[in-house]
Amino acid sequence: MITKQITVENKLGLHARPSALLVKTATKFRSDFFIEKDGMRVNGKSIMGVMMLAAEMSSQLLLVADGVDETYLLEEISAMFKARFDED
Amino acid sequence: MKEITVRDFFDAKKKDLALSLVTEPATLNKKITSPHVNRPGLALAGYTEVFAAERLQVFGETEVRYLQTFDEESLFPRMKEVFTNDIPCIIVAKGLTLPPIIEYLANDMNIAILSSRLSTIHVFQLLTKYLHEVFALEKTIHATLVDVFGLGVLLTGKSGIGKSECALDLIHRGHSLIGDDMINMRFINDHLLGKPGKEFGYFMEIRGVGLINVEKMFGIERVRHQKNIDMQIELMPWQENMDYERIGLSDNYVEHLGVRVPVIYLPVSPGKNVSVIVEVAAMNLILRHEGYDAAEDWNRKVHDEIKRKTKLKNIDASADEDDNKADYRRE
Repeated sequence: MITKQITVENKLGLHARPSALLVKTATKFRSDFFIEKDGMRVNGKSIMGVMMLAAEMSSQLLLVADGVDETYLLEEISAMFKARFDED
Repeated sequence: MKEITVRDFFDAKKKDLALSLVTEPATLNKKITSPHVNRPGLALAGYTEVFAAERLQVFGETEVRYLQTFDEESLFPRMKEVFTNDIPCIIVAKGLTLPPIIEYLANDMNIAILSSRLSTIHVFQLLTKYLHEVFALEKTIHATLVDVFGLGVLLTGKSGIGKSECALDLIHRGHSLIGDDMINMRFINDHLLGKPGKEFGYFMEIRGVGLINVEKMFGIERVRHQKNIDMQIELMPWQENMDYERIGLSDNYVEHLGVRVPVIYLPVSPGKNVSVIVEVAAMNLILRHEGYDAAEDWNRKVHDEIKRKTKLKNIDASADEDDNKADYRRE
């Protein structure tokens, strides 16, 4: 299991579109994937879960991946956060 | 361009329009090529430069009473002029009678005169409805059409995916069948009207059982003659990388005869109760028609929450501005 701390950088936060993108990417991998925010932990492959975090801009998230392709999963997901989900 | 003969029209609508044939039966061979109806008032008055002659010509009381003001000598050339424009047939409403010379001329020029006992307006309405149905754009597709909570749901997908089985389950749950396997759709009054491809009755093929007759088995209550198509559900085998709808904020449509029909791509996998999902999809569409969209409602709540938190943070940020400045200096 590996974890990574990231910051939400896009202005609108994790609303519907970025959440959908994130989940779509995460489901491509076989590893389990979770996101933690303020003590709340959701399944990163569930769009309702991800949106329920209501993660606003500059909030801190902990990405947790566990499985054979965990490294690739975290790499790809954090790259999406870095790219601000192609928003702003 | 589609066409029917006056005889086809006469045979189909004799009863509904209370029609009787005034001229010889041989006059019924002309073709109808237009879905519209015309009242030839101005043409009868002599203005034939702009005259929708290819349409069915309806004579109401105005036309008949006007023609009755002329004697035979002046009627003859006047009507000959109108008939030379090759009109398909004349329908006289209200059971009125035309002067005998017109009847004679019509027989001579092979134009049928039909007499209807109905009022002119009624004839007009029924004719327009009939002709629009006859001349409507149409196509037949491989699908099953079911009425679910009053919505016409078109089930599509490859052969063997389970359209009929899904429909059967829906019938069993109290919904009704319009047609299985072949559905004919027509563009009528801005809607897609779906009917069975063949009027053989309500047969269905259930793999492993064979043919069943839904009407005999479940009763008249579980079948419908026709239904406007409101949505399409495409059943497809479950695929790992297919991008299925998760929230429902983006709408998908397919086009049939120029009409946009909302479509749902529904993955089917063993043990999945497809008919319940079809019911839910129909109910969700009904809610949206009524103005409630669950996806939007949910998204708004998430948005509000994000906004609230961002605002809180900004207030904190301005309060801590001095501290931040101190931080920057340190950097």
